[in-house]
Amino acid sequence: MNDVTSQAADATASSVLNSRVPEGPIEDLWDNYQASMKLVAPANRRKHTVIVVGTGLAGGSAAATLGEMGYNVLNFCISDSPRRAHSIAAQGGINAAKNYRNDGDSIYRLFYDTVKGGDFRSREANVYRLAQLSNNIIDQCVSQGVPFAREYGGTLANRSFGGVQVERTFYARGQTGQQLLLGAYSALMRQVDAGTVTMHAHHEMLDLVVVDGQARGIVARDLNTGEIRTFAADAVVLCTGGYSPVFFLSTNAVNCNATASWRCYKRGAHFANPCYTQIHPTCIPQAGDYQSKLTLMSESLRNDGRVWVPRNADETRPPAQIPEEDRLYYLEETYPGFGNLVPRDIASRAAKQVCDRGLGVGTSGFAVYLDFEEAIQRLGRDTVAGRYGNLFDMYHEITAEDPYSSPMRIYPAPHYTMGGLWVDYDLMSTVPGLFVAGEANFSDHGANRLGASALMQGLADGYFVVPATVSNYIADTKPAAVTTAAPEFAAAESGIRDDVKKLLSIKGKRTVRELWWELGRIMWDNVGMARNASGLEAAISEIQGLREEFWKDVNVPGTPDEWNKMLETAARVADFMELGEVMARDALERRESCGGHFRDESQSAEGEAQRNDADFQHVSAWEYKGPDSAPTMHKEPLHFDHVKPGTRSYK
Amino acid sequence: MASNAITVKLLIWRQSGPTAAGQLVPFTLENVLPEMSFLEMLDLLNEKLVREGTDPVAIDSDCREGICGTCGLVINGIAHGPNSGAATCEVRMRSFRDGETIVIEPFRAASFPVIKDLVVDRAAFDRIMAAGGYVSINTGSAPEANAIPVQRASAETAMDAASCIGCAACVAACPNASASLFTSAKISQYALLPQGRTEAGRRVVRMVEAMDAEGFGNCSNHGECEAVCPKEISIFNIGRMRREYLKAVL
Amino acid sequence: MSVLTDVTRSTIGKKLLNGLTGLLLCGFIVGHLAGNLLLLLGSDAFNTYAYTLHSLLHGAFVPLAEVGLVVLFTAHAISGISVALARRRARPDGYQKSANAGGKSRKSSSSTSMIITGVVLLVFVITHVAQFRGGFFAPREYADVMINGHATHNLYALVVDWFNQAPMVALYVVVMLLLGTHLRHGFWSAFQSLGAANPKYLPIIHGAGVIFAILMTVGFLMIPIYIFLFVDPVAGGTLIGG
Repeated sequence: MNDVTSQAADATASSVLNSRVPEGPIEDLWDNYQASMKLVAPANRRKHTVIVVGTGLAGGSAAATLGEMGYNVLNFCISDSPRRAHSIAAQGGINAAKNYRNDGDSIYRLFYDTVKGGDFRSREANVYRLAQLSNNIIDQCVSQGVPFAREYGGTLANRSFGGVQVERTFYARGQTGQQLLLGAYSALMRQVDAGTVTMHAHHEMLDLVVVDGQARGIVARDLNTGEIRTFAADAVVLCTGGYSPVFFLSTNAVNCNATASWRCYKRGAHFANPCYTQIHPTCIPQAGDYQSKLTLMSESLRNDGRVWVPRNADETRPPAQIPEEDRLYYLEETYPGFGNLVPRDIASRAAKQVCDRGLGVGTSGFAVYLDFEEAIQRLGRDTVAGRYGNLFDMYHEITAEDPYSSPMRIYPAPHYTMGGLWVDYDLMSTVPGLFVAGEANFSDHGANRLGASALMQGLADGYFVVPATVSNYIADTKPAAVTTAAPEFAAAESGIRDDVKKLLSIKGKRTVRELWWELGRIMWDNVGMARNASGLEAAISEIQGLREEFWKDVNVPGTPDEWNKMLETAARVADFMELGEVMARDALERRESCGGHFRDESQSAEGEAQRNDADFQHVSAWEYKGPDSAPTMHKEPLHFDHVKPGTRSYK
Repeated sequence: MASNAITVKLLIWRQSGPTAAGQLVPFTLENVLPEMSFLEMLDLLNEKLVREGTDPVAIDSDCREGICGTCGLVINGIAHGPNSGAATCEVRMRSFRDGETIVIEPFRAASFPVIKDLVVDRAAFDRIMAAGGYVSINTGSAPEANAIPVQRASAETAMDAASCIGCAACVAACPNASASLFTSAKISQYALLPQGRTEAGRRVVRMVEAMDAEGFGNCSNHGECEAVCPKEISIFNIGRMRREYLKAVL
Repeated sequence: MSVLTDVTRSTIGKKLLNGLTGLLLCGFIVGHLAGNLLLLLGSDAFNTYAYTLHSLLHGAFVPLAEVGLVVLFTAHAISGISVALARRRARPDGYQKSANAGGKSRKSSSSTSMIITGVVLLVFVITHVAQFRGGFFAPREYADVMINGHATHNLYALVVDWFNQAPMVALYVVVMLLLGTHLRHGFWSAFQSLGAANPKYLPIIHGAGVIFAILMTVGFLMIPIYIFLFVDPVAGGTLIGG
């Protein structure tokens, strides 16, 4: 334990990162910066190769746009089709500052809400650019034929989301992520047809190739055949999503992983704010150890549903028979101002607290009721069905329980990770030529992401920011010609071959899933909704022990030269076991509560999160120092010139 | 184990590679809980197989909530199994009886070569999409979003078609292995929207040519595709595709 | 011309062609049935009808119609058979276990047997034409009858002879039932193939298809059965080889 704390203390003594935000008024930063960028002539663009890893909102849109510009794009994804990236599962909507509702919205207000929602831990310049680009995204997607919801007059419809005071969310039923992703995918397939983008579906990036300090290519494994190959380029754009599955159970797809990001981290890209994770309050609780994922129920349910648990830990009656006086409506009691509509982080933590007190319901005791009895009495069953019918059906399908007659059971689940590879204003990592976009970077959401903002960020990065900054980088640095014949490629490739061989040769007794499940338990118990020093220190040592066990006793079946899901997963779990430790270190180091990061030691007398701006108003970016050393931490100080940090109160 | 656990007899298609011969192989799996999803039941089987030293059954899946379109199995002769409007991952084991035999096969079509066991290669769908499943508009050249009014009814019908998750159950279920429902869903979405009209003719001709070149079968209007579609996409889209085609070639 | 070949080569072109020819053939069988129901009224009515038909357009109508029908049948058959052939190529390895999905599916014994009923009907049409138009295998030779002062074939006598033979009647009953099966799926399917079905009208088209199939089957069945039961062979003429 002492060892861990001293390593963490060492970590603070390191350099300051330069975000390279241009000078000038924030409203004009992006426009002025674009005007000053260097350009690559149209005829020369096809001579430059750009690798884009990932085909979600960020990757698909970046690859398509770079292709349209004329670059030779190599695009990779782990799914069997670029259309299956996990962005497809986003439900609610996408924010934009169009002010179509004439309710006082503006670019500034979207910027303000996002900075405040991120609990003052994001970079103002990036967030302002995001708010500006939000409008262009809607224009672009509408032109692509994305079937957004419409008013009878033919104009776009909006709805409110996530407790914001304006209606700025554009949506396509409950499938907004799907429709936006298919829009980006269609643009991408158009470029595949045009020959500017070469698609490598079912390929997993396993390493970054760095030549003369610049990102110049990747090593990838063909998941159908097991073939390992290298690809060279002038720049690499990483759009590989977040790392919620470090908890094993999350709302993410089962193939979501941190491997591409983590391998880049090991090649010199700093990992920023790994401890910032979003735990979504309204998910269907875990029903058993067999479970492979958790299903998100839209948080709109809290508009009419009342959250409660029995007052007595030894309650045995079915919910309908528990009288009002024996019910604890803990959100309404603790937060009379906002009641059931407190923000995600608060609602999640409160659910955990009542369950930790033994008041939780269901077989596991880790669930709370979300009750529509009062809403059905007040509004009638038909109105409730009209608003939430599809969600009730989904709940019924999964649990075989009828939410109309007995309350739903819900519990928080890992959903999104705000942390990710550190990037500057250009979205370039600390490895020159390696750009990172979408959930994979740390950039815009600070310590907590607002609803309907993830889609906005992915597309802003991919359609607008990355294509401009990658062009500028290529024009500016004029990268020397490099092919996969360079020795760095062979070295990286043989390293990956060795990793594969090693995983397959252990032939121990533990399955990959078992070990991943155990990691998830350690992470959830100690690096989940509430964290404290002793828990985090324990987590670090437990993870180290588990990692040792993994490399001694994992059983990866099959051969390297075929479809081998267990082998794929094993490599990802190995990376999660390292990332989990860095998350714990980062959480330990950040001795304050902010957004999704709650430290038991840093709370007000009423149990609310307490930020420490004096000591922690910075980004923590971790640098890999080799397999046997603790990573070192670098800081990027954050400045708030436009939105003054204040305390969030929901009482 | 839980008292409500059941035992199922599985007959699973095993095929070691694209060119290898395959066959149905029997497995007995105990301790299956009714609340498990079908894929979690197969996870349980694979954990067991790994511990026993048997090669686990290759399946692919991702979101496990019915939207990504990755999973797809033919369960007892029906693509995506017994629940209508649901993908394989949304099927729960409570749909099966204790002791029931469940036959599990891959989506079968010449255009979808088997990669291994229950995993098939559906890249043909991407190639159909590349032939015209888009509106030709470059990033940055879009007009103000509300400059293009769209009738609400058209937007809704377009959205119905756009819900397609590209899982290929339509092909798997079609007695002719036709890709008409998939192709027509995308053609319909764009045909119904003003943004898509400009190149509607070129799109339908190119996408149909691509669909044919991939070697999918023709359509006999059986409607099995609609019945198994997790998003319940209507075969009227196929009718619309034919009208669009006729308009384009006349 | 190249447009036409491109179109007919495409799966959709084949469906359009199959649907269009199918609907035209539906029109033909309605007319054919209407005319042939005159058989129930006796020799004069039917032979007059036959004579009138043959004298339309100064005798050009029937040959023209026949050419049209040959084209229709051929196009319908080729486009239909190609669907069946494509099926074998598109799924060479079938399922070990197959089932109908039910629900919104319109798959039925009628829809899955289209190629079988279609091929049977094709063979039937050829033999039927040979039998009645060509007069091949006729049981005997017939003296002409006088219609409006013109000597004309006694087609009525030929039909009555054939339908007094039990095996022939049985064969026709079977084939007409298959025709009904073919029409039950084929009628609405033709509209769908032409892109003419929409959610509003589909239930009507679907229902009309069933009624149409029943009417055609019953109508065509009435003729051989009625003749077999109630009409004796017409006197006169010579038995072939007799």
